[in-house]
Amino acid sequence: MVSVSHKTRVLAALALPVSAALVLAGCASDAGDNGGAEGDSIIVGTTDKVTFLDPAGSYDNGSFAVMNQVFPFLLNSKPGTSDVEPDIAESAEYTGEGEYTVVLKSGLKFANGHDLTSSDVKFSFDRQLAIADDNGPWSLLGAIDSIETPDDVTVVFHLKNGNDQTFPQVLSSPAGPIVDEEVFSADAITPDDEIVAGEAFAGPYTITSYKFNELIQFAPNEAYQGLLGAPKNVGVTLKYYTDASNLKLDVQEGNIDVAHRSLSATDIADLRSQDSVKVVDGPGGEIRYIVFNFNTQPFGATTPEADPAKALAVRQAIAATIDRQEIATQVYKDTYTPLFSYVPQGLTGATEVLKDLYGDGDVEKAEEILAAAGVSTPVAINLQYNPDHYGESSADEYALIKDQLDASGLFTVNLNATEWTQYAKDRTADLYPLYQLGWFPDYSDADNYLTPFFVTDNFLVNHYSNAEVDELIVKQQTEVDHDARTALIEEIQAKVAADLSTLPLLQGAQVAITGKDVSGAVLDGSFKFRFGTLTKG
Amino acid sequence: MTTVTAPDAPPGATAAIRKARGGGFWRYLLVRFLLIFPTIFILVSLVFFLMRLTGDPITASLGDRLSPDQLAERIHAAGYDRPLIVQYLEYLANIFTGNFGSSITDGRPVTEILLTYGSATLELAIYALIVAFIVGIPLGMVAAYFRDRWGDAALRIFAILCYATPVFFAGLVLKLVFAVWLKALPVAGRASTRTELKLQQLDDPTGIYLIDAIRTGSSSAITDVLTHAVLPALALGLLTAGVFLRLVRTNVIGTLSRDYVDAARSRGVREYRLVRRHALKPALVPIITVIGLQIAMLLGGAVLTETTFEWKGLGFQLAEYLSKRDFVAVQGIVALLAVIVALTNFIVDLIAAILDPRVRY
Repeated sequence: MVSVSHKTRVLAALALPVSAALVLAGCASDAGDNGGAEGDSIIVGTTDKVTFLDPAGSYDNGSFAVMNQVFPFLLNSKPGTSDVEPDIAESAEYTGEGEYTVVLKSGLKFANGHDLTSSDVKFSFDRQLAIADDNGPWSLLGAIDSIETPDDVTVVFHLKNGNDQTFPQVLSSPAGPIVDEEVFSADAITPDDEIVAGEAFAGPYTITSYKFNELIQFAPNEAYQGLLGAPKNVGVTLKYYTDASNLKLDVQEGNIDVAHRSLSATDIADLRSQDSVKVVDGPGGEIRYIVFNFNTQPFGATTPEADPAKALAVRQAIAATIDRQEIATQVYKDTYTPLFSYVPQGLTGATEVLKDLYGDGDVEKAEEILAAAGVSTPVAINLQYNPDHYGESSADEYALIKDQLDASGLFTVNLNATEWTQYAKDRTADLYPLYQLGWFPDYSDADNYLTPFFVTDNFLVNHYSNAEVDELIVKQQTEVDHDARTALIEEIQAKVAADLSTLPLLQGAQVAITGKDVSGAVLDGSFKFRFGTLTKG
Repeated sequence: MTTVTAPDAPPGATAAIRKARGGGFWRYLLVRFLLIFPTIFILVSLVFFLMRLTGDPITASLGDRLSPDQLAERIHAAGYDRPLIVQYLEYLANIFTGNFGSSITDGRPVTEILLTYGSATLELAIYALIVAFIVGIPLGMVAAYFRDRWGDAALRIFAILCYATPVFFAGLVLKLVFAVWLKALPVAGRASTRTELKLQQLDDPTGIYLIDAIRTGSSSAITDVLTHAVLPALALGLLTAGVFLRLVRTNVIGTLSRDYVDAARSRGVREYRLVRRHALKPALVPIITVIGLQIAMLLGGAVLTETTFEWKGLGFQLAEYLSKRDFVAVQGIVALLAVIVALTNFIVDLIAAILDPRVRY
């Protein structure tokens, strides 16, 4: 039998950890997060990651998101549009064949007091090309032949391809930030700490506190006199998350003010139903699509039953059968939208050409196309997807595509999945007749959705070649007249839609979640999220 | 692994071992120490080859943007197409010279990664061990005391649940209950944004938030840091607490049936004192041995705990770099973890040998 005192001691031993936890829990209400940790500053949460602050060493969303706040660009787009105009430049235009001249505003300075001159601009681009880092965006600058700086405010770019109309967009892309030549190294990646310590910032914000991929504190940069204007808030703290569900919980509980990239479709759907937050939507640059290998697809050039007309009919019938809206709603809770053109919505030149030609989930049309081409059904298809590179929902997406194609009675789909690094090798070795891919743009211009995919010798290596398309693509790249260029882009898409080298399926929407008292979150076709427009209260 | 003689070994045998302790002990120590090197060598070699089996970082990041020729060009420039044995020998040579290299994906020196994030993992591991001791040992005593009664049965089920529940699941449940439903504890992170900013202002922060918070002199910062540690420490600590509970219970029950305990009981020593003073101490010796194994389990569990709770330590970094196939960073982190586990086991063996004369060496 245990005496009372012994029992008490045993209970006390048990109670110790519990009470310790409760005491700490009781204190939590005083010290937990609350939105607006420092005065009226705004806390933004993200699951993106920084690779390097140095523009020469990173080419990813997370790094570019920070660069957009702290580095200036020669050209930029105002929030709400993707069309570029001078940022820290007074003017920017073609002044001769293949000669693009930028005149800087006078009296530009970095936050550290250094003058920002044409020499810094030349340095910024020259160093990217000299460093040519594997993780950097230097390949976007391939059009530059040489750079001249006749005076402190004038920069002349001599281009290899005449009046390249994509060049202004490249200047606002991850290859475009202007850096301080007195802080950055000319031939090596400059470490983040040196950049922060050197206050080498001339964008709307400076960084006042930096902890790699954990926390960054931004303060308005009074020296900035560019297109975006002075920030409307007193500062922003950017907090990095590993797990999207923690990001969701924190914005839901008001511990942070804004959640931007990347919540799951389920979490976004849940947050849409909550009164405590606002959901802001915008067009996204990401696209998801199927690639047809012109050699190995059914009736492809190297198959025993090779027949170009039947091969085209199969591609067209697949385009007609797949119901994009069903995929977007069922699998992605409408965080993706159906994509019926090669250039996504939000960019100049976007059309709905595929819907006009093939409809959406139109099995009757598919049946007609196959019958007209004399293709006997069902057609056996080997469809390949990757389960680990384009998000966890790829498996559901492709299972639904298989269901749709099988249910039509026109196809029997053999669906297979392969791990990413093997997949990336196999796809260019003619092993996959039809396969999944995705694309994030390098810059916000229609050309970035055309040239890499459809010129002969494209990166897809799917054996598609159309001389007319090649010619039109080159033409649109140098067409100065905006309307004429738009018409060319539409014409290219019409031709590719008829050929169906690839089949666009979905366009990723941008989503930001904000607290009820936060406004000014703008998501546009530039795919740049600017902190300067955010206000609270 | 330390070996222990049968509990009922004749006194003569123990005396003989004690006699031989002089040279034998040092030889035992030397052998244990030397075993550290092949352990680490085998582990880092395994990681080296396994990482390369899963593909290279260039294909992983650019496989859907470049043509095969462009990819091959970049892979060649990075040296990933060289014979594996050449890369391996180069890697070993670098390790022996203390050069762990720089991460492929973010260019940070691996030593900097280890120092920055190692402190966070160390802090979490210490909190988890504290939870394991505070929960596992007293409850093990209670279970032994109430042997085969309902209290014992309940505690044994609790112990099984503790070590059988996947740590990420335990973390999610704790988060759901205490952070989401009760709103009593923070959802995730090592500190609130306010405190994080405060800690970032310190000169030469240690990276161990509790120490840094104490250095700020702010009670709210200290409370905040401790509050954020509760759930991750519980999630990870309960894993080990379950093992401790079962071990203490079994050993206390064993010692309670020994003759010297019966003798003490017959002299009128109270039951609580019997458990605490006479049965517990001998029962704790095996715990020391088990700690060595538990460190490995804690570090393994830390990968999941850190990810679940946004605890930005080595486990979290390891998961990040693994997903990017960053050979260099993964090899560096695993090498450090291997050193920690091997050294801990060595120290544990050493302590066990000193404390327990029945250890053979």
